[in-house]
Amino acid sequence: MSAKGINKYFHEPETFQVLKDVSFEIDRGEFVAIVGKSGSGKSTLLYLLSTMDTDYEGNIAINGTTVTGLTQNQLSRFRNEHIGFVFQFHYLLPEFSVLDNVMLPALKLGKKSKEEIEAKAMELLTLLDVKGHETKKASKISGGQQQRVAIARALINEPAIIMGDEPTGNLDSKNTAIVFDIFRQLAKERGQTIIAVTHDEEFAANCDRIIEMVDGKIMPL
Amino acid sequence: MSVNTKISWVHLTSKVRQLIVAVLSVTFGISMYIFMNSFMNGVNSAQTEITFTSMAHIKVYNDLGGSPSKAFLLNSSDDTIRNVSNVKHINYTEGIRNADEVKQLLQKNTEIVAVTEQVNQNVFFRNGVTKISSTLSGIDVTNEIQMFNSVQYMTEGDLYELDRRSDAVVLGTGLAEKLNAAVGDNVMLSTSDGVNKILKVIGLIQTGSGNVDKSRAMISINTARQLLSKNKSYATEVLANIKNYNDAQIVANTLRPYISYKTEAWQEGNEQLESANILRDTMAITVSLTILIVAGFGIYNIMSMTVNEKMREIAILKAIGFDGKDIVRIFLMQSIVIGFIGGFVGLLLGFSITFIVDHIPFSIASFDTLPVSYRPIDYIMAMVFGMIITFIAGYIPAKKASKVDPVEILRG
Repeated sequence: MSAKGINKYFHEPETFQVLKDVSFEIDRGEFVAIVGKSGSGKSTLLYLLSTMDTDYEGNIAINGTTVTGLTQNQLSRFRNEHIGFVFQFHYLLPEFSVLDNVMLPALKLGKKSKEEIEAKAMELLTLLDVKGHETKKASKISGGQQQRVAIARALINEPAIIMGDEPTGNLDSKNTAIVFDIFRQLAKERGQTIIAVTHDEEFAANCDRIIEMVDGKIMPL
Repeated sequence: MSVNTKISWVHLTSKVRQLIVAVLSVTFGISMYIFMNSFMNGVNSAQTEITFTSMAHIKVYNDLGGSPSKAFLLNSSDDTIRNVSNVKHINYTEGIRNADEVKQLLQKNTEIVAVTEQVNQNVFFRNGVTKISSTLSGIDVTNEIQMFNSVQYMTEGDLYELDRRSDAVVLGTGLAEKLNAAVGDNVMLSTSDGVNKILKVIGLIQTGSGNVDKSRAMISINTARQLLSKNKSYATEVLANIKNYNDAQIVANTLRPYISYKTEAWQEGNEQLESANILRDTMAITVSLTILIVAGFGIYNIMSMTVNEKMREIAILKAIGFDGKDIVRIFLMQSIVIGFIGGFVGLLLGFSITFIVDHIPFSIASFDTLPVSYRPIDYIMAMVFGMIITFIAGYIPAKKASKVDPVEILRG
């Protein structure tokens, strides 16, 4: 993944430059933490990398594809296939069962049969230790379990990149440790790139690399 | 089942109460559309039916009056002056002398299903000192029944009795009341030419058309001819019914060149009936469409609420790879399902309401129950309009949902 010369402005309430000529590269299988004070632009950077925010200057390429300039529908498709998300709040669909939540992105992608997807989802739920809850509504399980289900959902399409926006921000230390170990394992064993915005210094310290943002710029190491 | 369908389905079934409210608004709209149109149509048909109990679709008669034919030729030269003042008719033929010929001509036309002749005149009836003016119809009983189904409107007595007795008369119920005459009583008749005859009331008729019932009396056509001292083929008018009364003008136009008398379609003398029908139809359609549009607002409202409630979920769906089109489909499908369920229940409810109203007793004129009609077109149109309105009402919020910016929602 590479980002070149990224500039980003907010126009409300007044024009303000959030990101100032940000450039970096991340290798496959790297576990990267983006840290910085609030307002430093770290979340903004993550949402640009996620392809959801397209209002920027510069160039972003993911997995060999230049995503800058693609249409919204192309980006949706790209996200579906190549990027998995974990948010601070689990953001599961509360009316769906745990299993359905995990299966949705794969059903949307439509590359595998429903049976294969279900088997894969069960495998992930087992890996993340939430097996046995799959038929429950997503709103009926505990916070730590919800976050792990969200991770399973992020993994279902075997994306090249997993992005986390404060993925442990809402979890206690025990669950934080579990989530961290899962990420670690994914990067190491499956070669998936992980980019996480975090406030948690301990979490960041254990990553392969830290990108520190200060006032819209990356701090030189 | 596609993944979009699955999501729509979960959205629909997770809020059963909301779903029922939305479905009911469509059901109500569609059933009211059906009921309003069935009722108005029933009223129109009943009105037309009453009208045609005493009026034929096409009437052939001798149109008298107008300016008399020219007494002199036009000025032949400059030194001639023509002066004719106070011009009057001095002699003309009343009625149709060769009615049989006209009848045969009419019967040849394939559009015409019934033909009858009448001898009508204005007369006075007297019962004691009561003296009432009346329109006396000499009728050809068999043809008259075929044409106007008169037997159905007889409240007392047998119409065929007219053929058997030359002094028999059937009075309209209103006329009988004014004369204070009942079946079996004798009444005195005076024609405008001063001929008097005693007639026996053998029956009463009620067509439902008040003015007609108050003034009309019927006798055998032969008795009527006798009263006027006319020949056997004489009639004042020849009447014809056609297959579809709306075509009366077209048929009358095709007949006109062959008949030397005035040929008139019913619409020419009764435009108020036509306009009343059109007004009622317009009103029914306006009211029922308004109700359907209100139902559309109901769906719009509920779908907008659903979209607003599910902003975050929409953002998540977009984040995990669903595009704008998917979101439109997900929400549009929900309103279409609501429209379909509501529509079908509405068809059933509309039919039920119509059926119940059909059985409400309503005894005015010749009605027993409220008039309604059952026309498939009303049901088809209700469903078509219902679906169009549901589609529009669902599309607007769905489009709005598809425009949600996930970044804005997810970043908080």
